[in-house]
Amino acid sequence: MSVLGLAGGAGTLLYAWLWIMVPTVEEEVRDAGTPVKARGSRPLRSPDPHESGADDSPAEGRRRGLRELLIGVVLLLAAALLIAYRLGADIRWGMILPLAAIAVGSVIAWRQLDESRRSALVNSAGADRKMGLLRVCGGLVLVIGGLLFMISGTVAFDIIWSSLAASVAVLAGVVLVLAPWGLKLWKDLETERSARARETERAEIAAHLHDSVLQTLALIQNRAGNEQDVLKLARAQERQLRDWLYRDAPDGEGNLSERIRSIAGEIEDAYGHPIDVVVVGDAAMTPGSEALVLATREAVQNAAKHAGGQISVYVEAGERPEVFVRDRGQGFNPDEIPADRLGIRESLIGRMNRHGGTVTIRSGPDGTEARLTMGAVERDRL
Amino acid sequence: MTAVPIVVVDDHAIFRSGLKADLDDRVEVLGEAATVDEAIAVIHAVRPRVVLLDVHLPGSPAGGAAVIAGCTDMLAETSFLALSVSDSAEDVVTVIRAGARGYVTKSISGREVTDAVLRVASGDAVFSPRLAGFVLDAFGTAAVAQVDDELDRLSARELEVMRHIARGYSYKEVAKELFISVKTVETHVSAVLRKLQLSSRYELTRWAADRRLL
Repeated sequence: MSVLGLAGGAGTLLYAWLWIMVPTVEEEVRDAGTPVKARGSRPLRSPDPHESGADDSPAEGRRRGLRELLIGVVLLLAAALLIAYRLGADIRWGMILPLAAIAVGSVIAWRQLDESRRSALVNSAGADRKMGLLRVCGGLVLVIGGLLFMISGTVAFDIIWSSLAASVAVLAGVVLVLAPWGLKLWKDLETERSARARETERAEIAAHLHDSVLQTLALIQNRAGNEQDVLKLARAQERQLRDWLYRDAPDGEGNLSERIRSIAGEIEDAYGHPIDVVVVGDAAMTPGSEALVLATREAVQNAAKHAGGQISVYVEAGERPEVFVRDRGQGFNPDEIPADRLGIRESLIGRMNRHGGTVTIRSGPDGTEARLTMGAVERDRL
Repeated sequence: MTAVPIVVVDDHAIFRSGLKADLDDRVEVLGEAATVDEAIAVIHAVRPRVVLLDVHLPGSPAGGAAVIAGCTDMLAETSFLALSVSDSAEDVVTVIRAGARGYVTKSISGREVTDAVLRVASGDAVFSPRLAGFVLDAFGTAAVAQVDDELDRLSARELEVMRHIARGYSYKEVAKELFISVKTVETHVSAVLRKLQLSSRYELTRWAADRRLL
């Protein structure tokens, strides 16, 4: 450093630069704390992924790149002007200076815009994507190249290069002086912004917990005397909270697994018997699997109504989705269902058969298991 | 028959006392712990046969897997049974791969926990329907190993046993269903546990799932 310091005071400048650029401890801590991803690979589902922490990493990088690009453009323009001036071109400063003032004013205004509006503008300009960036860079190179070429038509080529070197040196000095200050300002802004985002997120979580868990706890205290009610409330709340904590955003919605989970939840709420759902694989909904879901609903409802106790639902989704519904009731004889009882006959067996599926019901003193298979004809008797 | 000595590790005191009250006299609780470091110390001090281990524990490093990692010198005499409220495959499979002999959900009854403890104490593995579901998800339901030693796939019989457990069958019911002895079911389950602990397949699946390739 001291050697550099001797070298024309460059070291002093470098020191000042580093002093400003190296993030303070607080900034570092905040940077590290920003993404929710720190909490295992399954992020808390934040209510709006476009707000809060979600846009931090890639968008921020892009924005930073864009900022540097803009600074570069301004400096290059100034350089071009200076060169032209030095080469004796007729530059009407009386016109350029007001224009520059306007430009600076608009930049200031631009910076006043809040983050979201600015990124919306950037997004609509297409500068956030790789191709957009490429286009901007290509355009710049062409314009600057064109300008240089134009000037080189009027002046000797070697003069251009020597004055270009001179102006680059001057510009480097200006950048050294001004850029750290500007960047520092930006950093402060960003630190502030991420703090706000975290605060929003925390408030969302608090609001959610208040609406769900706290309300349920209050209800449970009210009905402490009624065991059945308490159990039902606790189960429902548990399911809801699990959904919120562990399920990934809405990508699974409308899939077979999601549908079966949600009907199991409904029936659990309605009858108060715990229903365990285990799903392997997943499949998109088709008319066939729609029938499978409705038939599963009928089977689970029967189990909850007549058998009670623990009910297990196992779904193997694949090319030929299969559902097993098992209860621990006293069992019944499937051949002795009265003709007027349409539940099992129509809603379960009839519906599955119409869609090319099969139902096998086995019942005994240890409980009943219904096996619903969609797809190929099935002769296997379990 | 003498009671099986166990240690209960969970960071919620309410849960620990509730669990202790629910367990029947076939087990004897020798100690309790609430954090990773406490657990490692208590386990080394009382040398239990089985440790009931919560998957989520404070400490650094945190989690039930860290407790098992701190007790590797005792794995020959002490078995770990993971207890969890978590639904995430990650948490459960991590602690199983660290060396736990089974996994049960916290909502099961005291008698069932006791049964599971005894099963683990006799050297067998304990699979809940959900864990069986994870296994089927990770290993696939179609791929069948030609040789029993193959780590990355389940044999036809193991697949069948896992399917029945996922459907809510107890070991005894699985045995009756498949016309095999309970001992054979236990052997199959232990084999699956071994594959789950040693295979690299699960990592692949997790990798794919995280990137939405599946």
